[in-house]
Amino acid sequence: MKKSYLIVWLFAAFSCFAQNREVLYNFTSIPQASMVNPGADVSYKFYFGVPVLSGISANLGSSSFSAYDLFADNGVDFNDKVRNVVNKSSRNDKVITNQQLELFSGGFRVGGRESRSYISFGAYQEFDFFMFMPKDLALLGLDGNRDYIGKSFNLGDLSLKAEVLSVFHVGFHKKVSDKLVLGGRAKIYSSGANAVSTKNSGYIYTGQTAGTPNIYTQTISSNLELKTSGIATFTKDEYEGNIVSDIAHNTFFNGSLGLGVDAGLTYYFKDNLQFTASIIDLGFVKQSKDIETVTYKGTYHYEGANPDFMGNNDPENIFDEFDKAIPRETLHNKYTTWRPTKMYTSLQYSFGEYRSDEDCNCRGQIKKRYKNAVGGQLFFMSAPRTPIAAFTAFYQRNIFEKLDVKATYTFDTFSNKNIGLGLSGTIGSFNIYALVNNVLEYKDISKANSAAFQIGLNFVFQDKD
Amino acid sequence: MKAYFFRILNILVLPLLFFSCSSDLDFDQVKDLKLEPVVVANLAYFDIQANKVIDNGTTNVIYDVRDFDIFKDKFFNNRLKRADFDVEIENTIQRAFSVNMLLMNANNDVLETISFTVPAYAGSPNVIKYPTEVFENQRLDLLKQTVKIGFSIVIAPGPPLNQNSTGSLKLRSGATAYLVIE
Repeated sequence: MKKSYLIVWLFAAFSCFAQNREVLYNFTSIPQASMVNPGADVSYKFYFGVPVLSGISANLGSSSFSAYDLFADNGVDFNDKVRNVVNKSSRNDKVITNQQLELFSGGFRVGGRESRSYISFGAYQEFDFFMFMPKDLALLGLDGNRDYIGKSFNLGDLSLKAEVLSVFHVGFHKKVSDKLVLGGRAKIYSSGANAVSTKNSGYIYTGQTAGTPNIYTQTISSNLELKTSGIATFTKDEYEGNIVSDIAHNTFFNGSLGLGVDAGLTYYFKDNLQFTASIIDLGFVKQSKDIETVTYKGTYHYEGANPDFMGNNDPENIFDEFDKAIPRETLHNKYTTWRPTKMYTSLQYSFGEYRSDEDCNCRGQIKKRYKNAVGGQLFFMSAPRTPIAAFTAFYQRNIFEKLDVKATYTFDTFSNKNIGLGLSGTIGSFNIYALVNNVLEYKDISKANSAAFQIGLNFVFQDKD
Repeated sequence: MKAYFFRILNILVLPLLFFSCSSDLDFDQVKDLKLEPVVVANLAYFDIQANKVIDNGTTNVIYDVRDFDIFKDKFFNNRLKRADFDVEIENTIQRAFSVNMLLMNANNDVLETISFTVPAYAGSPNVIKYPTEVFENQRLDLLKQTVKIGFSIVIAPGPPLNQNSTGSLKLRSGATAYLVIE
């Protein structure tokens, strides 16, 4: 059990995840469903999340290898495992982590008893990490260039970004008519630490060309850039402090600020045919605190020592020449990062009318309820190179009056058999939910290419009659 | 009500217990990480044209020295476990040569001399690939002190060289570095 926690926390700590919340999406008995669609058909008189426990989620995904591939305690040499992982990966394989922790959240209906407008608010902390497999650089590190004469090692394989931020948000949604729910949310981002290195290019080349004076043609063409915000201080020798607490402090009180919006809608073609769509985190952060950009740009040809015996004293100094050709430059310009924007859409068909003794309290609202729903969801997320996409088929069932279950089957970059399960139960006003995906892999979680969970506790109050 | 509560709790919590099913993982293996890249690079080259060397046909020595400061890099120096030098020489001048590669330290002391014997050109192209010079252990330690490479070329007696002489003496060489990064 201890080890499994370690995996979970490793996931959380490395926080690399596809942010698809396919189980949560449109699971409207959970108030947090409005975080992935502010126009979700969620209703309450008021609710508040149990502080720090209302939404804990972590996602870890790696499209080409699992924790087992690297860390299995099976006697295979670790270096062989690394080599296997690198060999079977491609430069487009990615490692993604996302972790979120809701600090507080709440919502209430505005207007009278008949009003169908709601305000919600909250704050959460988020960690994102995204990296492509730096395949060529890994090969160069593992093997060197001897067995790769004629190959250009692509420096563009190096592509990663990471961010720790806190988000304060206020949302509004309104059931405009029986058919349409519209919602939006404004967000203020406070980024405590950010690192971006996604626009790299260049190559390291060793070739052999007939007719050239040297044995090898060796060129490094570099266009590398790493932008950081809120990190430079910690890299200095004179820094004496606690990085974790300093980043946490910066994240909440001294971060680079940004703005963003979420928007979404729910539309009922019929009582039992529902369409939803949302866009989440359409926003930016103006990175402005403790910023540092380091670049290595230039081209260097390595010729070796080259005596000419003609008395020309042409001092050659490999390091000086290299530094001159590909200088390290440090800049302190502000830069803007775009948040990973997510888009969801779904179509849902409901069937099996719900019959309950409580249904007679309907105060004239003769709205049918259904026991079952099936449908499909699409998910897109912006990412370096190409967006990430996923398709989910789902089945949702209302088991008891206050217990809902949702099962999902998702196809994405990481897996084509990702089954998710979600449960949301309410006892009195106390709502507890747990969502997990990739349950097939839980028989041995260490072999999963991705795993996600989200749990939370809320108090939800409906009108009493 | 209480039973109902626990039933729900069980349903909700049980899936999380699935987390406990995991193969044994050993994260300490990271300590075993050992990269062993093998890097090839140019070492030195020259191309001496016969018509630039003017002599009267007796023994003649030409000399040049170049900085070679790769071993000043501590990362490289500490992780280099073996180095190989491969040298090939093509002579199209009608004189024999002895090419000496001198590895020198910061005080210009010669740490090691590697000699290559080159026969005179006899009309047919001849590229000589010399046996690989392997630097390991003590020989490697000497190499790591090297900051300059000198070339001393002894030209054996033969037909005098002047502006109209043809041919050239070409040297090409590469180094192979075996690194161990732990």
